[in-house]
Amino acid sequence: MSFELISPNTLRDALDLLDVDDPSIRPFSGGTALRLMMKSGVFSPSKLVVLRGIPDLSGIEISDDGSLTIGALSTLAEVETSALVARQVPVLAGALKHLSNRRVRNVARIGGAIAHGDPHMDLPPLLSALNAEVIVESRNGRRHIAVEDLVIGYYETLLEPDELIVALRIPAQDDWHSAYRKVTARSADDWPALGVATSISHEGKEIRDIRLVVGAATERPTRLDISEGVLRSEGVAGLPRAVEAAMESVEVMDDSHGSATWKKALLGVELRRSVEEILGRNA
Amino acid sequence: MTKKPIKFVLNGREVQAFVSPDDSVVDLLRELDHFGARESCGQGLCGCCTVLIDGVSVTGCLELALLLDGKRINTVEGLDADGQLSAVQQAFIDTGAFQCGFCTPGFILMIEQLLDENPDPTDDEARDYLSGNLCRCAAYPEILSAVRNAAMKRKTAQGADA
Ligand SMILES: Cc1cc2nc3c(=O)[nH]c(=O)nc-3n(C[C@H](O)[C@H](O)[C@H](O)COP(=O)(O)OP(=O)(O)OC[C@H]3O[C@@H](n4cnc5c(N)ncnc54)[C@H](O)[C@@H]3O)c2cc1C
Ligand code: FES
Ligand code: FES
Repeated sequence: MSFELISPNTLRDALDLLDVDDPSIRPFSGGTALRLMMKSGVFSPSKLVVLRGIPDLSGIEISDDGSLTIGALSTLAEVETSALVARQVPVLAGALKHLSNRRVRNVARIGGAIAHGDPHMDLPPLLSALNAEVIVESRNGRRHIAVEDLVIGYYETLLEPDELIVALRIPAQDDWHSAYRKVTARSADDWPALGVATSISHEGKEIRDIRLVVGAATERPTRLDISEGVLRSEGVAGLPRAVEAAMESVEVMDDSHGSATWKKALLGVELRRSVEEILGRNA
Repeated sequence: MTKKPIKFVLNGREVQAFVSPDDSVVDLLRELDHFGARESCGQGLCGCCTVLIDGVSVTGCLELALLLDGKRINTVEGLDADGQLSAVQQAFIDTGAFQCGFCTPGFILMIEQLLDENPDPTDDEARDYLSGNLCRCAAYPEILSAVRNAAMKRKTAQGADA
Protein backbone atom coordinates (compact mmCIF):
# COMPACT_ATOMS: atom_id res chain seq x y z
CA MET A 1 0.00 0.00 0.00
CA SER A 2 1.56 3.28 -1.03
CA PHE A 3 0.18 6.62 -0.09
CA GLU A 4 1.36 10.06 0.79
CA LEU A 5 1.01 11.49 4.27
CA ILE A 6 0.85 15.28 4.39
CA SER A 7 0.65 17.41 7.52
CA PRO A 8 -0.50 20.95 6.70
CA ASN A 9 -0.18 23.63 9.38
CA THR A 10 -3.20 25.73 8.49
CA LEU A 11 -6.84 25.04 7.74
CA ARG A 12 -6.49 26.81 4.39
CA ASP A 13 -3.63 24.50 3.34
CA ALA A 14 -5.59 21.45 4.43
CA LEU A 15 -8.64 22.53 2.43
CA ASP A 16 -6.45 23.17 -0.60
CA LEU A 17 -5.17 19.59 -0.46
CA LEU A 18 -8.67 18.06 -0.56
CA ASP A 19 -10.43 17.40 -3.86
CA VAL A 20 -14.19 17.19 -4.30
CA ASP A 21 -13.76 14.63 -7.10
CA ASP A 22 -11.24 12.38 -5.38
CA PRO A 23 -12.40 10.45 -2.29
CA SER A 24 -9.05 8.62 -2.12
CA ILE A 25 -7.62 11.83 -0.63
CA ARG A 26 -8.89 11.74 2.95
CA PRO A 27 -8.70 13.93 6.01
CA PHE A 28 -7.00 12.05 8.85
CA SER A 29 -7.53 13.26 12.42
CA GLY A 30 -7.02 10.53 15.04
CA GLY A 31 -6.85 7.94 12.31
CA THR A 32 -8.31 5.24 14.55
CA ALA A 33 -11.20 4.52 12.19
CA LEU A 34 -9.22 5.03 8.99
CA ARG A 35 -6.43 2.74 10.16
CA LEU A 36 -8.89 -0.08 10.86
CA MET A 37 -10.27 0.35 7.33
CA MET A 38 -6.78 0.44 5.83
CA LYS A 39 -5.60 -2.60 7.76
CA SER A 40 -8.62 -4.64 6.72
CA GLY A 41 -8.16 -3.57 3.12
CA VAL A 42 -11.52 -1.82 2.66
CA PHE A 43 -9.85 1.55 2.08
CA SER A 44 -6.62 2.42 0.22
CA PRO A 45 -5.87 6.11 0.31
CA SER A 46 -3.77 7.94 -2.25
CA LYS A 47 -3.18 10.79 0.17
CA LEU A 48 -3.89 11.32 3.85
CA VAL A 49 -4.20 14.92 4.97
CA VAL A 50 -3.22 14.88 8.64
CA LEU A 51 -5.19 17.56 10.51
CA ARG A 52 -3.37 17.26 13.85
CA GLY A 53 -0.99 20.17 13.23
CA ILE A 54 -3.75 22.74 12.62
CA PRO A 55 -3.84 24.91 15.74
CA ASP A 56 -7.22 26.66 15.41
CA LEU A 57 -9.33 23.49 15.39
CA SER A 58 -9.09 22.58 19.06
CA GLY A 59 -10.43 23.96 22.31
CA ILE A 60 -13.81 23.90 24.06
CA GLU A 61 -15.62 27.20 24.59
CA ILE A 62 -18.90 28.41 26.00
CA SER A 63 -20.83 31.33 24.46
CA ASP A 64 -23.04 33.89 26.20
CA ASP A 65 -26.13 31.96 25.11
CA GLY A 66 -24.82 28.88 26.95
CA SER A 67 -23.96 26.91 23.82
CA LEU A 68 -20.73 24.93 23.67
CA THR A 69 -18.37 24.99 20.72
CA ILE A 70 -15.96 22.08 20.56
CA GLY A 71 -13.10 22.27 18.04
CA ALA A 72 -13.11 19.30 15.66
CA LEU A 73 -9.61 18.24 16.71
CA SER A 74 -10.43 17.95 20.42
CA THR A 75 -9.69 14.38 21.44
CA LEU A 76 -12.52 12.32 22.89
CA ALA A 77 -10.52 12.20 26.16
CA GLU A 78 -10.37 16.02 26.25
CA VAL A 79 -14.14 16.24 25.82
CA GLU A 80 -14.70 13.46 28.38
CA THR A 81 -12.65 15.26 31.05
CA SER A 82 -13.65 18.86 30.27
CA ALA A 83 -15.21 20.68 33.23
CA LEU A 84 -17.36 22.73 30.83
CA VAL A 85 -18.76 19.60 29.20
CA ALA A 86 -19.40 18.02 32.60
CA ARG A 87 -21.41 21.08 33.63
CA GLN A 88 -23.30 21.83 30.39
CA VAL A 89 -23.86 18.35 28.91
CA PRO A 90 -23.03 15.70 31.53
CA VAL A 91 -24.70 13.07 29.38
CA LEU A 92 -21.92 13.47 26.79
CA ALA A 93 -19.11 13.06 29.34
CA GLY A 94 -20.90 9.95 30.65
CA ALA A 95 -21.31 8.41 27.19
CA LEU A 96 -17.64 8.98 26.37
CA LYS A 97 -16.54 6.98 29.42
CA HIS A 98 -17.88 3.86 27.73
CA LEU A 99 -16.92 4.71 24.17
CA SER A 100 -14.02 2.40 23.38
CA ASN A 101 -10.99 2.49 25.67
CA ARG A 102 -8.80 5.23 27.09
CA ARG A 103 -6.04 4.84 24.49
CA VAL A 104 -8.43 5.20 21.58
CA ARG A 105 -10.09 8.19 23.28
CA ASN A 106 -6.64 9.77 23.72
CA VAL A 107 -6.19 9.76 19.95
CA ALA A 108 -9.64 9.82 18.28
CA ARG A 109 -10.99 13.30 17.58
CA ILE A 110 -14.56 14.52 17.92
CA GLY A 111 -14.62 15.52 14.22
CA GLY A 112 -13.62 12.00 13.17
CA ALA A 113 -16.18 10.43 15.50
CA ILE A 114 -18.94 12.44 13.81
CA ALA A 115 -17.70 12.23 10.19
CA HIS A 116 -17.00 8.49 10.11
CA GLY A 117 -20.59 7.44 9.32
CA ASP A 118 -20.33 3.91 10.71
CA PRO A 119 -23.83 3.10 11.98
CA HIS A 120 -22.31 1.59 15.15
CA MET A 121 -21.28 4.85 16.72
CA ASP A 122 -22.38 6.30 20.03
CA LEU A 123 -22.08 10.01 19.35
CA PRO A 124 -24.25 10.67 16.27
CA PRO A 125 -27.51 9.53 17.94
CA LEU A 126 -26.65 11.29 21.21
CA LEU A 127 -25.63 14.55 19.51
CA SER A 128 -28.81 14.39 17.42
CA ALA A 129 -30.92 14.13 20.56
CA LEU A 130 -29.00 17.13 21.95
CA ASN A 131 -29.91 19.08 18.80
CA ALA A 132 -26.24 19.68 18.01
CA GLU A 133 -24.83 20.86 14.70
CA VAL A 134 -21.47 20.76 12.97
CA ILE A 135 -19.76 23.69 11.33
CA VAL A 136 -18.29 22.58 8.04
CA GLU A 137 -15.80 24.39 5.85
CA SER A 138 -14.48 24.05 2.31
CA ARG A 139 -12.65 26.44 -0.03
CA ASN A 140 -16.12 27.69 -1.03
CA GLY A 141 -17.12 28.75 2.47
CA ARG A 142 -18.89 27.54 5.59
CA ARG A 143 -22.13 25.79 6.26
CA HIS A 144 -23.92 24.41 9.31
CA ILE A 145 -25.38 20.91 9.28
CA ALA A 146 -27.55 19.44 12.04
CA VAL A 147 -25.92 16.23 13.27
CA GLU A 148 -29.34 14.64 12.82
CA ASP A 149 -29.15 15.28 9.05
CA LEU A 150 -25.46 14.46 8.63
CA VAL A 151 -25.50 10.68 8.35
CA ILE A 152 -27.68 9.76 5.40
CA GLY A 153 -26.92 6.05 5.05
CA TYR A 154 -24.54 3.21 5.77
CA TYR A 155 -21.11 4.98 5.97
CA GLU A 156 -22.67 7.83 3.98
CA THR A 157 -22.73 11.44 5.13
CA LEU A 158 -23.65 14.81 3.64
CA LEU A 159 -19.98 15.84 3.76
CA GLU A 160 -18.32 16.37 0.39
CA PRO A 161 -14.77 15.00 -0.04
CA ASP A 162 -13.41 18.58 0.03
CA GLU A 163 -15.20 19.57 3.24
CA LEU A 164 -13.94 19.49 6.80
CA ILE A 165 -15.84 19.59 10.05
CA VAL A 166 -14.21 22.47 11.92
CA ALA A 167 -16.35 22.45 15.05
CA LEU A 168 -19.29 20.93 16.87
CA ARG A 169 -21.89 23.22 18.44
CA ILE A 170 -24.15 21.98 21.22
CA PRO A 171 -26.92 24.44 22.12
CA ALA A 172 -27.70 25.32 25.73
CA GLN A 173 -29.88 22.53 27.09
CA ASP A 174 -31.96 24.82 29.39
CA ASP A 175 -34.85 22.69 30.61
CA TRP A 176 -33.97 19.71 28.44
CA HIS A 177 -32.70 16.61 30.22
CA SER A 178 -31.03 13.72 28.49
CA ALA A 179 -30.01 10.11 28.80
CA TYR A 180 -27.97 7.80 26.61
CA ARG A 181 -28.45 4.09 27.08
CA LYS A 182 -25.86 1.88 25.45
CA VAL A 183 -26.27 -1.87 25.21
CA THR A 184 -23.21 -3.98 24.46
CA ALA A 185 -22.90 -7.68 23.83
CA ARG A 186 -19.40 -8.18 25.24
CA SER A 187 -17.55 -5.65 27.46
CA ALA A 188 -19.15 -2.44 28.80
CA ASP A 189 -17.07 -0.27 26.45
CA ASP A 190 -17.61 -2.39 23.34
CA TRP A 191 -19.17 -1.00 20.18
CA PRO A 192 -22.87 -0.58 20.87
CA ALA A 193 -25.34 -3.28 19.81
CA LEU A 194 -27.96 -0.62 20.46
CA GLY A 195 -27.84 3.02 21.52
CA VAL A 196 -30.91 4.96 22.61
CA ALA A 197 -30.56 8.72 23.08
CA THR A 198 -33.39 10.61 24.72
CA SER A 199 -33.84 14.32 25.47
CA ILE A 200 -36.94 15.59 27.23
CA SER A 201 -38.10 19.10 27.99
CA HIS A 202 -40.41 18.67 30.94
CA GLU A 203 -41.84 20.08 34.14
CA GLY A 204 -42.21 17.38 36.74
CA LYS A 205 -43.86 14.48 34.94
CA GLU A 206 -45.33 16.71 32.27
CA ILE A 207 -43.58 16.26 28.92
CA ARG A 208 -43.40 19.47 26.89
CA ASP A 209 -41.20 18.22 24.08
CA ILE A 210 -39.06 15.17 23.36
CA ARG A 211 -36.36 13.95 20.99
CA LEU A 212 -35.74 10.20 20.64
CA VAL A 213 -32.95 8.78 18.49
CA VAL A 214 -31.89 5.17 18.04
CA GLY A 215 -28.45 4.15 16.79
CA ALA A 216 -26.39 1.00 16.12
CA ALA A 217 -29.46 -1.17 15.46
CA THR A 218 -30.44 0.71 12.33
CA GLU A 219 -28.70 1.55 9.05
CA ARG A 220 -28.20 5.10 10.29
CA PRO A 221 -29.18 7.01 13.45
CA THR A 222 -32.95 7.23 13.30
CA ARG A 223 -35.39 9.63 14.92
CA LEU A 224 -38.40 7.88 16.49
CA ASP A 225 -40.96 10.46 15.36
CA ILE A 226 -44.08 8.38 15.89
CA SER A 227 -43.13 7.60 19.49
CA GLU A 228 -42.23 11.26 20.04
CA GLY A 229 -45.69 12.29 18.75
CA VAL A 230 -47.42 9.88 21.11
CA LEU A 231 -45.48 11.16 24.13
CA ARG A 232 -46.03 14.79 23.17
CA SER A 233 -49.78 14.36 22.94
CA GLU A 234 -50.43 11.75 25.62
CA GLY A 235 -47.61 12.45 28.07
CA VAL A 236 -46.04 9.71 30.14
CA ALA A 237 -49.32 7.76 30.13
CA GLY A 238 -48.60 7.09 26.45
CA LEU A 239 -45.30 5.37 27.20
CA PRO A 240 -46.48 1.81 26.48
CA ARG A 241 -47.92 2.97 23.15
CA ALA A 242 -44.75 4.90 22.32
CA VAL A 243 -42.64 1.82 23.03
CA GLU A 244 -44.88 -0.30 20.83
CA ALA A 245 -44.73 2.26 18.02
CA ALA A 246 -40.92 2.33 18.16
CA MET A 247 -40.67 -1.43 17.92
CA GLU A 248 -43.11 -1.51 14.99
CA SER A 249 -41.84 1.44 12.98
CA VAL A 250 -38.07 1.05 13.09
CA GLU A 251 -36.23 -1.20 10.66
CA VAL A 252 -33.76 -3.03 12.88
CA MET A 253 -30.80 -4.90 11.37
CA ASP A 254 -28.91 -8.05 12.41
CA ASP A 255 -25.18 -7.75 12.86
CA SER A 256 -22.30 -9.39 14.73
CA HIS A 257 -23.47 -7.71 17.95
CA GLY A 258 -26.88 -9.38 17.93
CA SER A 259 -30.00 -10.41 16.04
CA ALA A 260 -32.66 -7.96 14.91
CA THR A 261 -35.24 -9.70 17.13
CA TRP A 262 -33.06 -9.25 20.20
CA LYS A 263 -32.24 -5.64 19.36
CA LYS A 264 -35.90 -4.83 18.75
CA ALA A 265 -36.89 -6.22 22.13
CA LEU A 266 -34.10 -4.21 23.75
CA LEU A 267 -35.15 -1.05 21.95
CA GLY A 268 -38.54 -1.28 23.67
CA VAL A 269 -36.98 -1.89 27.09
CA GLU A 270 -34.31 0.81 26.81
CA LEU A 271 -36.73 3.41 25.45
CA ARG A 272 -39.05 2.88 28.41
CA ARG A 273 -36.15 2.94 30.86
CA SER A 274 -34.65 6.11 29.43
CA VAL A 275 -37.91 8.07 29.66
CA GLU A 276 -38.49 6.79 33.20
CA GLU A 277 -34.88 7.56 34.12
CA ILE A 278 -35.08 11.18 32.99
CA LEU A 279 -38.48 11.90 34.52
CA GLY A 280 -37.54 10.08 37.74
CA ARG A 281 -34.15 11.78 38.00
CA ASN A 282 -35.53 15.30 37.68
CA ALA A 283 -38.89 14.77 39.40
CA MET B 1 7.70 2.11 -1.40
CA THR B 2 9.45 5.34 -0.56
CA LYS B 3 10.73 5.54 2.97
CA LYS B 4 11.03 8.84 4.76
CA PRO B 5 13.47 9.86 7.46
CA ILE B 6 12.09 10.78 10.88
CA LYS B 7 13.68 11.83 14.17
CA PHE B 8 12.26 11.19 17.59
CA VAL B 9 13.24 10.52 21.19
CA LEU B 10 12.91 6.88 22.25
CA ASN B 11 13.11 6.35 26.00
CA GLY B 12 15.20 9.50 26.34
CA ARG B 13 17.57 8.72 23.47
CA GLU B 14 17.47 10.53 20.11
CA VAL B 15 16.81 8.19 17.23
CA GLN B 16 16.65 8.52 13.46
CA ALA B 17 14.83 6.02 11.29
CA PHE B 18 13.52 5.51 7.78
CA VAL B 19 9.88 4.50 7.69
CA SER B 20 7.28 3.55 5.09
CA PRO B 21 3.96 5.40 5.13
CA ASP B 22 2.02 2.36 6.33
CA ASP B 23 4.45 1.26 9.05
CA SER B 24 2.82 1.28 12.46
CA VAL B 25 4.62 2.36 15.60
CA VAL B 26 4.93 -1.33 16.59
CA ASP B 27 6.51 -2.19 13.21
CA LEU B 28 9.09 0.54 13.71
CA LEU B 29 9.88 -0.43 17.30
CA ARG B 30 10.57 -4.01 16.25
CA GLU B 31 13.05 -2.77 13.66
CA LEU B 32 14.73 -0.90 16.50
CA ASP B 33 14.90 -4.12 18.56
CA HIS B 34 12.24 -2.99 21.00
CA PHE B 35 9.87 -5.92 21.53
CA GLY B 36 7.91 -4.80 24.60
CA ALA B 37 5.06 -3.35 22.56
CA ARG B 38 3.66 -6.20 20.52
CA GLU B 39 0.78 -6.57 18.12
CA SER B 40 -1.91 -9.04 19.07
CA CYS B 41 -5.42 -8.04 17.96
CA GLY B 42 -4.17 -5.29 15.67
CA GLN B 43 -7.49 -3.46 16.14
CA GLY B 44 -7.15 -1.24 19.18
CA LEU B 45 -8.92 -3.67 21.51
CA CYS B 46 -6.30 -5.51 23.58
CA GLY B 47 -3.63 -2.98 24.59
CA CYS B 48 -0.62 -5.29 24.05
CA CYS B 49 0.85 -2.60 21.77
CA THR B 50 0.54 0.28 24.27
CA VAL B 51 3.21 3.00 24.11
CA LEU B 52 3.34 6.53 25.51
CA ILE B 53 3.69 9.33 22.97
CA ASP B 54 4.43 12.75 24.46
CA GLY B 55 3.31 11.30 27.78
CA VAL B 56 -0.06 9.96 26.61
CA SER B 57 -1.01 6.30 26.12
CA VAL B 58 -1.53 5.40 22.49
CA THR B 59 -2.41 2.25 20.53
CA GLY B 60 0.86 1.37 18.79
CA CYS B 61 -0.70 -1.00 16.26
CA LEU B 62 -2.90 1.77 14.84
CA GLU B 63 -0.67 4.85 15.14
CA LEU B 64 1.42 5.55 12.02
CA ALA B 65 5.18 5.55 12.58
CA LEU B 66 5.66 8.63 10.38
CA LEU B 67 3.66 10.64 12.92
CA LEU B 68 6.36 10.03 15.54
CA ASP B 69 8.54 12.64 13.85
CA GLY B 70 9.58 15.19 16.48
CA LYS B 71 7.87 13.33 19.33
CA ARG B 72 8.88 11.63 22.54
CA ILE B 73 8.00 7.96 22.81
CA ASN B 74 8.30 5.79 25.90
CA THR B 75 8.04 2.03 26.03
CA VAL B 76 8.26 -0.53 28.79
CA GLU B 77 11.99 -0.92 28.05
CA GLY B 78 12.63 2.56 29.46
CA LEU B 79 10.98 2.05 32.84
CA ASP B 80 14.04 0.63 34.58
CA ALA B 81 16.49 3.05 32.93
CA ASP B 82 18.06 3.89 36.28
CA GLY B 83 18.73 0.20 36.93
CA GLN B 84 15.71 -0.18 39.18
CA LEU B 85 12.30 -1.57 38.31
CA SER B 86 9.46 0.96 38.59
CA ALA B 87 6.97 0.57 41.43
CA VAL B 88 4.43 -0.88 39.02
CA GLN B 89 6.89 -3.40 37.59
CA GLN B 90 7.93 -4.51 41.07
CA ALA B 91 4.26 -4.75 42.09
CA PHE B 92 3.59 -7.14 39.19
CA ILE B 93 6.34 -9.44 40.46
CA ASP B 94 5.27 -9.17 44.10
CA THR B 95 1.63 -10.00 43.33
CA GLY B 96 2.30 -12.50 40.52
CA ALA B 97 0.18 -10.49 38.11
CA PHE B 98 0.99 -12.51 34.99
CA GLN B 99 1.29 -15.98 33.59
CA CYS B 100 2.62 -15.87 30.03
CA GLY B 101 3.45 -12.16 30.26
CA PHE B 102 2.33 -11.26 26.76
CA CYS B 103 -0.08 -8.56 27.95
CA THR B 104 2.15 -7.32 30.78
CA PRO B 105 4.02 -4.40 29.14
CA GLY B 106 0.71 -2.88 28.02
CA PHE B 107 -0.87 -3.24 31.45
CA ILE B 108 2.20 -1.80 33.14
CA LEU B 109 2.29 1.31 30.95
CA MET B 110 -1.45 1.88 31.40
CA ILE B 111 -1.14 1.52 35.18
CA GLU B 112 1.77 4.00 35.25
CA GLN B 113 -0.59 6.47 33.54
CA LEU B 114 -3.52 5.62 35.79
CA LEU B 115 -1.46 6.25 38.93
CA ASP B 116 -0.02 9.49 37.53
CA GLU B 117 -3.59 10.75 37.03
CA ASN B 118 -5.16 9.15 40.06
CA PRO B 119 -2.68 8.04 42.76
CA ASP B 120 -5.29 6.17 44.77
CA PRO B 121 -7.81 4.57 42.40
CA THR B 122 -10.66 2.38 43.60
CA ASP B 123 -10.89 -1.09 42.04
CA ASP B 124 -13.77 0.13 39.88
CA GLU B 125 -11.79 3.11 38.63
CA ALA B 126 -8.89 0.80 37.81
CA ARG B 127 -11.18 -1.65 36.01
CA ASP B 128 -12.63 1.20 33.98
CA TYR B 129 -9.23 2.59 33.08
CA LEU B 130 -7.87 -0.81 32.10
CA SER B 131 -10.94 -1.97 30.19
CA GLY B 132 -9.01 -1.75 26.92
CA ASN B 133 -6.34 -4.21 28.07
CA LEU B 134 -7.03 -7.90 27.68
CA CYS B 135 -5.23 -10.76 29.41
CA ARG B 136 -5.81 -14.15 27.81
CA CYS B 137 -4.40 -15.84 30.91
CA ALA B 138 -7.05 -13.99 32.93
CA ALA B 139 -4.70 -12.68 35.60
CA TYR B 140 -7.21 -9.89 36.25
CA PRO B 141 -7.58 -10.35 40.04
CA GLU B 142 -3.80 -10.30 40.47
CA ILE B 143 -3.51 -7.28 38.15
CA LEU B 144 -5.94 -5.39 40.40
CA SER B 145 -3.82 -6.37 43.41
CA ALA B 146 -0.79 -5.07 41.53
CA VAL B 147 -2.53 -1.70 41.06
CA ARG B 148 -3.20 -1.46 44.82
CA ASN B 149 0.30 -2.64 45.64
CA ALA B 150 1.94 -0.19 43.22
CA ALA B 151 -0.16 2.70 44.55
CA MET B 152 1.12 1.88 48.03
CA LYS B 153 4.74 1.55 46.88
CA ARG B 154 4.55 4.92 45.13
CA LYS B 155 3.13 6.56 48.26
CA THR B 156 5.82 5.06 50.47
CA ALA B 157 8.53 6.21 48.04
CA GLN B 158 7.08 9.71 48.05
CA GLY B 159 7.00 9.72 51.82
CA ALA B 160 10.67 8.69 51.86
CA ASP B 161 11.56 11.48 49.40
CA ALA B 162 9.77 14.16 51.38
C1 LIG C 1 -10.88 -0.45 19.47
C2 LIG C 1 -11.94 0.53 19.04
C3 LIG C 1 -13.16 0.53 19.68
C4 LIG C 1 -14.15 1.43 19.33
N1 LIG C 1 -15.34 1.44 20.02
C5 LIG C 1 -16.26 2.39 19.74
C6 LIG C 1 -17.46 2.50 20.49
O1 LIG C 1 -17.71 1.76 21.43
N2 LIG C 1 -18.35 3.46 20.16
C7 LIG C 1 -18.10 4.35 19.13
O2 LIG C 1 -18.91 5.23 18.90
N3 LIG C 1 -16.98 4.27 18.41
C8 LIG C 1 -16.06 3.32 18.68
N4 LIG C 1 -14.92 3.27 17.95
C9 LIG C 1 -14.75 4.15 16.80
C10 LIG C 1 -14.13 5.46 17.19
O3 LIG C 1 -15.09 6.24 17.85
C11 LIG C 1 -13.66 6.11 15.91
O4 LIG C 1 -12.63 5.33 15.37
C12 LIG C 1 -13.12 7.51 16.15
O5 LIG C 1 -14.05 8.31 16.83
C13 LIG C 1 -12.78 8.18 14.84
O6 LIG C 1 -12.10 9.37 15.12
P1 LIG C 1 -10.69 9.64 14.47
O7 LIG C 1 -10.31 11.02 14.81
O8 LIG C 1 -9.73 8.57 14.84
O9 LIG C 1 -11.10 9.54 12.95
P2 LIG C 1 -10.26 9.20 11.65
O10 LIG C 1 -9.97 7.75 11.58
O11 LIG C 1 -9.14 10.15 11.49
O12 LIG C 1 -11.36 9.57 10.56
C14 LIG C 1 -12.62 8.91 10.48
C15 LIG C 1 -13.37 9.43 9.26
O13 LIG C 1 -13.69 10.80 9.41
C16 LIG C 1 -13.05 11.60 8.43
N5 LIG C 1 -12.62 12.80 9.16
C17 LIG C 1 -11.80 12.87 10.25
N6 LIG C 1 -11.76 14.12 10.72
C18 LIG C 1 -12.55 14.86 9.93
C19 LIG C 1 -12.94 16.24 9.92
N7 LIG C 1 -12.50 17.11 10.83
N8 LIG C 1 -13.78 16.67 8.95
C20 LIG C 1 -14.24 15.80 8.02
N9 LIG C 1 -13.94 14.50 7.99
C21 LIG C 1 -13.10 14.03 8.94
C22 LIG C 1 -11.95 10.74 7.87
O14 LIG C 1 -11.63 11.09 6.55
C23 LIG C 1 -12.59 9.37 7.97
O15 LIG C 1 -13.49 9.18 6.93
C24 LIG C 1 -13.91 2.36 18.29
C25 LIG C 1 -12.67 2.37 17.63
C26 LIG C 1 -11.68 1.47 18.00
C27 LIG C 1 -10.36 1.50 17.28
S1 FES D 1 -2.52 -5.09 19.20
FE1 FES D 1 -2.93 -3.02 19.34
S2 FES D 1 -4.64 -3.01 20.61
FE2 FES D 1 -4.38 -5.12 20.28
S1 FES E 1 -0.40 -12.96 31.34
FE1 FES E 1 -0.81 -14.08 29.55
S2 FES E 1 -2.04 -12.72 28.47
FE2 FES E 1 -1.89 -11.75 30.33
